[in-house]
Amino acid sequence: MNPHQITRRDFLKATAIVTASLSGVGRLSISQAKEEYDLVVISGEPLPATQKAIEALGGISRFVKKGDRVILKPNMSFARTPEVGATTHPLVVATVAKACIEAGAKQVLVLDHTLQRPELCLERTGIKEACKGLSGVHVLTIQERKFFKEVKIPKGKVLDRVEVIQDVLENSVLINLPVAKSHSATGVSLGIKGLMGLIWDRESFHSRYNINQALADLATVIRPRLTILDATRALTSGGPGGPGEVRKLNLIIAGVDPVAVDSYGVSIVPWYGQNFKGHQVEHLLMAHQRGLGRIDIDQLKILKEKA
Amino acid sequence: MRRSIQILSLLLFSILFIFATYQLPDWLFADLYLRLDPLLNLNAIFAAREIIPRALWALLTIGVTLLIGRFFCGYICPMGVSIDLLDLFFFRKKKRENPLRFESTLRKTKYFLFIFFISAAVVGLSLAFLFDPMAFLTRFYTFFIYPVVTTLINLFLDLLRPLFHQLGWISFSHLHFPQPVFYMTAITLLLFGGIILLNRWVPRFWCRYLCPLGALLSLISPLGLLKRRVSEECNRCMRCRKACPMGAIGENPIETSRAECIQCGTCSKVCPKEAVSFPISFSIGGEYSKVELSRRGFFYSLSGGLIAGFLALQTPFRLRRGKLQLIRPPGAIPEDEFLRTCIRCGECMKSCLTNTLQPSLWESGLSGLWTPKMDLRLAPCDQNCNVCGKVCPTQAIRSLSLEEKNHAKVGTAILRKELCLVWAQNKICLICDEICPYNAIVFRPVEGYRRPVVIASKCNGCGYCEQRCPVSGESAIVVVPHGEIRLKEGSYQKEAKKLRLEFKPDPGDDKFILEEEGFKIEKDQKESKPIPKTKSQPQKPKGFL
Repeated sequence: MNPHQITRRDFLKATAIVTASLSGVGRLSISQAKEEYDLVVISGEPLPATQKAIEALGGISRFVKKGDRVILKPNMSFARTPEVGATTHPLVVATVAKACIEAGAKQVLVLDHTLQRPELCLERTGIKEACKGLSGVHVLTIQERKFFKEVKIPKGKVLDRVEVIQDVLENSVLINLPVAKSHSATGVSLGIKGLMGLIWDRESFHSRYNINQALADLATVIRPRLTILDATRALTSGGPGGPGEVRKLNLIIAGVDPVAVDSYGVSIVPWYGQNFKGHQVEHLLMAHQRGLGRIDIDQLKILKEKA
Repeated sequence: MRRSIQILSLLLFSILFIFATYQLPDWLFADLYLRLDPLLNLNAIFAAREIIPRALWALLTIGVTLLIGRFFCGYICPMGVSIDLLDLFFFRKKKRENPLRFESTLRKTKYFLFIFFISAAVVGLSLAFLFDPMAFLTRFYTFFIYPVVTTLINLFLDLLRPLFHQLGWISFSHLHFPQPVFYMTAITLLLFGGIILLNRWVPRFWCRYLCPLGALLSLISPLGLLKRRVSEECNRCMRCRKACPMGAIGENPIETSRAECIQCGTCSKVCPKEAVSFPISFSIGGEYSKVELSRRGFFYSLSGGLIAGFLALQTPFRLRRGKLQLIRPPGAIPEDEFLRTCIRCGECMKSCLTNTLQPSLWESGLSGLWTPKMDLRLAPCDQNCNVCGKVCPTQAIRSLSLEEKNHAKVGTAILRKELCLVWAQNKICLICDEICPYNAIVFRPVEGYRRPVVIASKCNGCGYCEQRCPVSGESAIVVVPHGEIRLKEGSYQKEAKKLRLEFKPDPGDDKFILEEEGFKIEKDQKESKPIPKTKSQPQKPKGFL
């Protein structure tokens, strides 16, 4: 058994802490006189840092109302253990899921259209295990075309339509939970690249279209309410599947602006041994130019704290 | 009582079948029924010319048969159960002639088949799987029942999906089972259907006349202790004789052919006088119990088996064996031994996580019929799964730990430059590089372009690249058996180390893009031969501006 795997006991302990602290979060959000930040960047271990990030944004109840259906989109596309850095840390997913349930969400669906065998992905990433005890939380992989529905992309430049997982379209709250990693075709794979896990035909992005343009098109129709970027580890080379160089950064970056979160994510670590800024990532720049978010992180109000 | 045992046995067979997946716990013998089959194992032991540990389980069946008699066919054999149940379903009302006209000749057929298979096995040709009920039924389950049932379940789920959706039952509304697909599904169904159809003329036609496992058991069953006895109450009404599904009762209803009697007790159930019982008895034989094989028939089947064995082994297939494009599952023992040991039950193909294991048809001749091969264009072999060896009853595929299994190299990927989008068309494609779990594919600067190449010493032939290659039709990167490691015993890790192979998922040299050599090579090349205007090497990783 590998040391990074979470035992159920660990997880129960962790969830107890979440529960305890979340009651605090609720209060905070009511008495929220704090100024609103564009981004919150919390350093710490996955669980407390995620909690703190949610708290700093004004509590999850700012995004999730009673009776809502919530879709969490972590990256669990690869059958890799968390330390490889190719998938979202299970504790980040479980913490957010738990918070959503606490906020009164009717259902929380943790979804991805995986690249490798779904049963292995669920098992190896530890995400299924981490969400096991949470009632109302369902961890699913969506691998069949019948679960997808076509949507038009009115503002699309290369894509005019795309098939998206139905649940995402059915009036639910989408929270994106990407992991920070390098990507051999798009430079980095953060929040916006992670949206590709919600569509049916990901192959065509690589083979038929300019992937960067297609991603920007996709981001005009799938708009997560919140993005929480798991940079507790960053796979800085060898992405998206790994193995590659993994840097332990212990960061959680959260915000409502998907471009801003990604842009900040680009700046936190050298990718393939080089420093980059958000506007140097082609698909981010394109998304920014489409008016999907702000890319210049110097202009943002950022809260940086330790958990 | 007998019916319930039969149904329980079929249920157990089915449950073990369902459990044969990559999650199979180590303590569960999914291949239990195959291990218990003395014919398959005798065949494998003779053909492989060595004692196979798992095959010794079959001694259990032999032991109990020596003790009780040919109970196996009447109570345990899942093929027998299937035949009985389907017989009830289809042919209950058919009037059947009993016995048939060629009864005595037909009766011998199973013995001839048995002799034929065993003598072929002695020469080294494994053929018993063709007629062995356990291998046959496992194949039928794998290639027919499993895909069909999956389809039906999915259809059923689709039907109820709106309802689940309304009720908010997420785990059901999103449930879908991956559809397994196999070659030879139709052939398997036809063969099985044929066996069932034969019941139209005689109940348990298969068991009476054809089953070579039944033949083996009936040879030793007269020694069994439980024997049919008819008391003086008998009024010769002949109901037992008519009802006996095996036709084991003679014209004089007191007589029983012990070789044929499966102790099902039908005779005692139909007897109006309650004259039939099955007490313990040490007597052996009785004229009617003799297994009569004509000397000529014995000789024919014996020599038939030997000749078939010799012929099948002396074909071009044998000479080409090492040069064929067949990728065997990881852990498969060396090809010659593999063909002798494999009993073609299909259990490995059933359990295969990714569905890459498929039955061979004629690719390696008669001696390779139904053996598992990897169809890597269809699906890759996942490094987190080692189930095929776990479920192999004769260990033709060795049961290996994950670490060992990943060192059991099945072949090497080769790039077919004339098909590759990057090599042939200068397109940007890096799917094989991206998907390779071992970083065995790297991009090297060649003629001004970054081109993918395979590092053979890091490739274990898992086939992810071949499966994912976006070129239509044949893949531009294919796994060939070259470099495969096939060990009868010993450690694959050690062997790999000896050969200086390393299948470690290490970070590799993805920083190539920033290296300077790319430019140098480009310049050198330009001097030697002019290249049409090439793109300059990107200085930044892809995706960055």
